[in-house]
Amino acid sequence: MLSALIWIPVIGGIIIGFLPNQLAEKSRSLALVIGSIILAFTLAIGLQFDPNQSGLFLSESFSWLDQLGLTYYLGVDGLALPLIFINSFLTLIAIYTSSTKLARPRFYYALLLFLSAGTAGAFLAQNVLLFFLFYEVELIPLYFLIAIWGGTNRGYAATKFLLYTAISGALVLASFLGIVWLTGASSFDYDVLRSQVLPLSSQIILLLILLAGFAIKIPFFPFHTWLPDAHVEASTPISVLLAGVLLKLGTYGLLRFGIGLFPDAWNLLAPYLAIWAAVSALFGALAAIAQKDMKRVVAYSSIAHMAYILLAAAAATPLSLTAAVAQMISHGLISALLFLLVGVVGKKTGTRDVDTLRGLLNPERGLPIIGSLLILGVMASAGIPGMAGFISEFIVFRGSFSVFPIATLLCLVGTGLTAVYFLLMINRVFFGRLPLAFSNLPAVPWSDHVPAIVLAILIVTLGLQPNWLVRWSETQTASLSNFDTETLAEVRPASRSLLQPGQSIKESQWWRSL
Amino acid sequence: MVVTQFEPSQHRLAQDIYRLEAGEALLKDSPSNLIEVVGILKSYGVVLDTYAKNLIYISQEQCLIFFNFFKYFNGEVTLNKLLRHWWHDRINYEYAEYTMRAMMWHGGGGLDAYLDTPEFREAADQLIRAKFKFNPLMRAFHAVFDDFLPEHMRQMAYYKGLGEFWTIMSKIFLELSDRYLNGEIKSIPDVVDHIQQGLVADANTPITYSVELNGEVYNLIPESAGLKFLPDTAVPYVESIFFRGAPFPGLVSFNAQAYQIPAQQEEFSYGALHADVVATGTAGVPPTLLMQDMRHYLPDYLRQFYQQSGRGEGDLLVKICNSFQKSMFCVTTAAVKGMAPHPFDTANIEEKRENRRYLEQWMDKMVNTRLQMANSD
Repeated sequence: MLSALIWIPVIGGIIIGFLPNQLAEKSRSLALVIGSIILAFTLAIGLQFDPNQSGLFLSESFSWLDQLGLTYYLGVDGLALPLIFINSFLTLIAIYTSSTKLARPRFYYALLLFLSAGTAGAFLAQNVLLFFLFYEVELIPLYFLIAIWGGTNRGYAATKFLLYTAISGALVLASFLGIVWLTGASSFDYDVLRSQVLPLSSQIILLLILLAGFAIKIPFFPFHTWLPDAHVEASTPISVLLAGVLLKLGTYGLLRFGIGLFPDAWNLLAPYLAIWAAVSALFGALAAIAQKDMKRVVAYSSIAHMAYILLAAAAATPLSLTAAVAQMISHGLISALLFLLVGVVGKKTGTRDVDTLRGLLNPERGLPIIGSLLILGVMASAGIPGMAGFISEFIVFRGSFSVFPIATLLCLVGTGLTAVYFLLMINRVFFGRLPLAFSNLPAVPWSDHVPAIVLAILIVTLGLQPNWLVRWSETQTASLSNFDTETLAEVRPASRSLLQPGQSIKESQWWRSL
Repeated sequence: MVVTQFEPSQHRLAQDIYRLEAGEALLKDSPSNLIEVVGILKSYGVVLDTYAKNLIYISQEQCLIFFNFFKYFNGEVTLNKLLRHWWHDRINYEYAEYTMRAMMWHGGGGLDAYLDTPEFREAADQLIRAKFKFNPLMRAFHAVFDDFLPEHMRQMAYYKGLGEFWTIMSKIFLELSDRYLNGEIKSIPDVVDHIQQGLVADANTPITYSVELNGEVYNLIPESAGLKFLPDTAVPYVESIFFRGAPFPGLVSFNAQAYQIPAQQEEFSYGALHADVVATGTAGVPPTLLMQDMRHYLPDYLRQFYQQSGRGEGDLLVKICNSFQKSMFCVTTAAVKGMAPHPFDTANIEEKRENRRYLEQWMDKMVNTRLQMANSD
């Protein structure tokens, strides 16, 4: 059943790719059908999930290249399930919002489905080498989707994206290979690697490499420069997927592999990670204030909001880890909504320049529903109560404050700045008099409103019923936070010198004095 | 361009002056302008008639009543009507009152002058005394604040004056649409001629105001006061409502903070000919109320015309406002022509010069209106 999430889009993509010329215009409809089937499968998998149970509740395993330690081992637990849902859901949204007048539609929709398959595979993979393969495979369709259907500077943005994320992949692979070589494990299976014993110094080195890899993908300051360019040049559906799902591969990797495989090193590096999170959050927020392109504002906002996940992961309390997953989901939905709406503004007005646009809330000639939904999205992003963003950010800060009070307070300042840059954007773009140049904007059909309305409903529903946001991952993340340093790693005497006599790494928490 | 027999005008709107001198209108003639203007004046005529009836009802039946909760019900208070009122399934009579207040505030003309005469004050005092004959509290109040109730009666007089003005105008506009459908109106100059003839025909219709109380009639503005339709209501109306207007209640704070409200009343430019049509539909902009009312009475040919352009009926209020503004340029043309010192086809060069000076004075007012935009559509 899990394989269906990978192979249905792959087979669907191949079918679409080889559609005869006369049926090329049907590729969107066919992609919609395939996207709906994938979402239905995801929901069917979700129905089998027991939130009170930790560990994999569904798995599939086939031997593949045993000599290399590579097995086709898929599994889903409370950590992966919400992300798989987001992937399936946003893939359908991306297909639906794609232009009906695309050049080379067969190739486009085939790539979209391959992208979905690669992402689902990465979330499902229980073999780290298999994870790496999917992690790398999704780069190819994404590169083409930006390079072919992007904006005027798409070549530059796509190449930059590919270079950065390929380096990210190489670093992740290096870290995985390092674990196997240093432990002598016979397999790349995640549960095998988790049971291996590794010296603390090795853990630190491998974790640093892994962190650098995922930090590029997420991205955190100062590895972020590819993201705003990619967003600006990517078409709206691709931005939706990029912000909503693909960046989450990095944060998922931090939780799954960073904490899961290197718990001791994670504990030691945690205070630095918290500081990094605060710096990245503040940098993202301050940079967003200076932007003139609406997409860039949302892109930098994304950098700031992803940093909260790092803060929560660094704190690694049961609540903060649940919060990290909740923040992934809520950011996925909110950023998808924001990119979708900014895309509509750009499409209707021909510009996303905040200094040019004005008065778009005009009820008759502006984009009043789009503007209202964008205001809702902005409020959700700024953490206004009643929406998913508030819940996830609140528990991020609540779960992290006891461990890293100063870093948490700095991230709170970042949240405050979210209101600043988004209200600046909203005030400039939507209020005031509609300029003459925009007084004859074409109407936005209801079909363009539907995906944004669905996303908005989800954001508000999860804000009003937060249990639906956190219960999926609560048990799983609690088990992640309960790692026992003594049983998972061999702490060498040299490393023990960092600790007080008789004190475990987890107990030391020297950063509390920060 | 028309070749004049005398020196060319140096005015910024010289082209518009030449057009008027040639018997045309401020609004350029075109088939689409004709449909828009005739159609919108048809719906405006219906709405104006309703406004006028309510204004006259308030002036006669609701005067000196200070908590007149049902003033928009025209005397027919039923649960069904009340529910419809709360559901906002009704005419926005507030717009008529907004117009009345703007007209009263700017004043001008014989009506404004008469309301400051001892005759009006005496008549108003008589009515006030009769009304509060058995109300010592109000009598005491009137004795202490002796300007309050007379000022209320002046406002009531404006209700009546505007109500009478609109009654005549609605008749003119409704006849225009009938004549258009009969094929008698074929161009914008025909529209202007029709309105001009209507204004001239009713120019001397007396403006009066009387209130009946306990079987006795109180003539607040008797016919002997000599107030006439054209000079005492139409001309001040054009000045107050077409040109000056007042900052919109929903934006007045914004306007004030942005130093956009002129210090001098005569410099106000919030009137219909200045109205920013794009803002229509926005809360707090009174033309929105009028456009909402007119939307219910659009003739089929105009509705079809709107459906074929832009957002169809999605931006109907803006389209109505745009057409309305065009129609007001036609009404202004009719008023300008009707009050011209000499016929525009005169051969006398001195009369032509006098007409030119007259038109240039009007065009001074037109410089900052949306005339050019209306003609660029």
